[in-house]
Amino acid sequence: MEQGEAASPPAARDKLGGREGEEEDDFGYRLFPDRNKKQQSFLVRSLFTFHNKCQLMLRMTLDTNPYAQLLLEAMKQSGCTVFNDRHFSCENCDGCVSGGFDSATSQIVLCQNNIRQQSHMNRVVTHELIHAFDHCRAHVDWFKNVKHLACSEIRAANLSGDCTLMNEIARFKFGLKGHHQTCVRDRAIRSILAVRKVSKETAEKAVDEVFDACFNDLEPFGRIPHSKTDAKRAYRDFQNRDRYNANL
Amino acid sequence: GRDGGAAQPGLSARSQPPRSCEDYRWEWKHCRGLRHAFHHYYTHGELPACDRWRDDYEACRAWERGRAAAAQEALCKSERARVMEKQKYPPVWTLRKSPPPDWYMPLDQDKSN
Repeated sequence: MEQGEAASPPAARDKLGGREGEEEDDFGYRLFPDRNKKQQSFLVRSLFTFHNKCQLMLRMTLDTNPYAQLLLEAMKQSGCTVFNDRHFSCENCDGCVSGGFDSATSQIVLCQNNIRQQSHMNRVVTHELIHAFDHCRAHVDWFKNVKHLACSEIRAANLSGDCTLMNEIARFKFGLKGHHQTCVRDRAIRSILAVRKVSKETAEKAVDEVFDACFNDLEPFGRIPHSKTDAKRAYRDFQNRDRYNANL
Repeated sequence: GRDGGAAQPGLSARSQPPRSCEDYRWEWKHCRGLRHAFHHYYTHGELPACDRWRDDYEACRAWERGRAAAAQEALCKSERARVMEKQKYPPVWTLRKSPPPDWYMPLDQDKSN
């Protein structure tokens, strides 16, 4: 399970009942306790306003946000059309996590109890769609290859708007010159540590090894979109890519 | 680039510039703006260089006006260099030839949406 954004360090992992000397990696599923539960009835779910609000905000993002629209179109071109009912799920999550991508079920999980604002929903959906896009276009070994996970986390932090100056200031992280890269690196490491039972050194090493390649992999945007204007321009370039490639 | 079937030496079979000239102009103006300069400094730790977009825009205009061979070649060379810069690093993963087989598989639980 690939995690979209935790505001706090991951909780200590519990040893599973009685196993000596071996802790099992739960791949982050402990953060999403509703993943393997039988779904509640439609009526029960409707009574919870978080669920309704999550669905409404998700619909707004998919219909109007240029980041999401570009990713949806790119995924469709790659053969992975995204259906709201099948590929998104609004659930309650633990801690401060905002969302995740479950590669086992090809589903994006949105934490309805932690996403309160439309701008946040926009960013989480974009972040998770980048993971889904990587899953769709490449053989990403989410569970066994930390470098693959690191690469997707670097790309998601880089391209989703996670690391804008305002977002960083809101986290009390201050910096200007090249700070975007510092943020991307740090958030990728935190995401890896939250969902994989690896040491901080392992996570840092994996991120450092793939950073240059993955920070500069800007698909499908072709640029780092710093605003909706940039995202719209990227969408336009994506739609014109046939002309571009034919006339090089 | 593709040069097959050129009718005259130096001219290629490309019918139009890779991007519209308005797109080159937009990129150049955008690059020179204050907002982009800030974002570039925040991301890369240095101010952007925008002359290349200006040169591309001028080459595009020359292409549109008279299909000047030198302008076509200069513009395409610049764009090919952009593509090569993006492919500078070896990929971390292997690209798929087809989408994941379970992308559309129904979930185990009933979804009553």
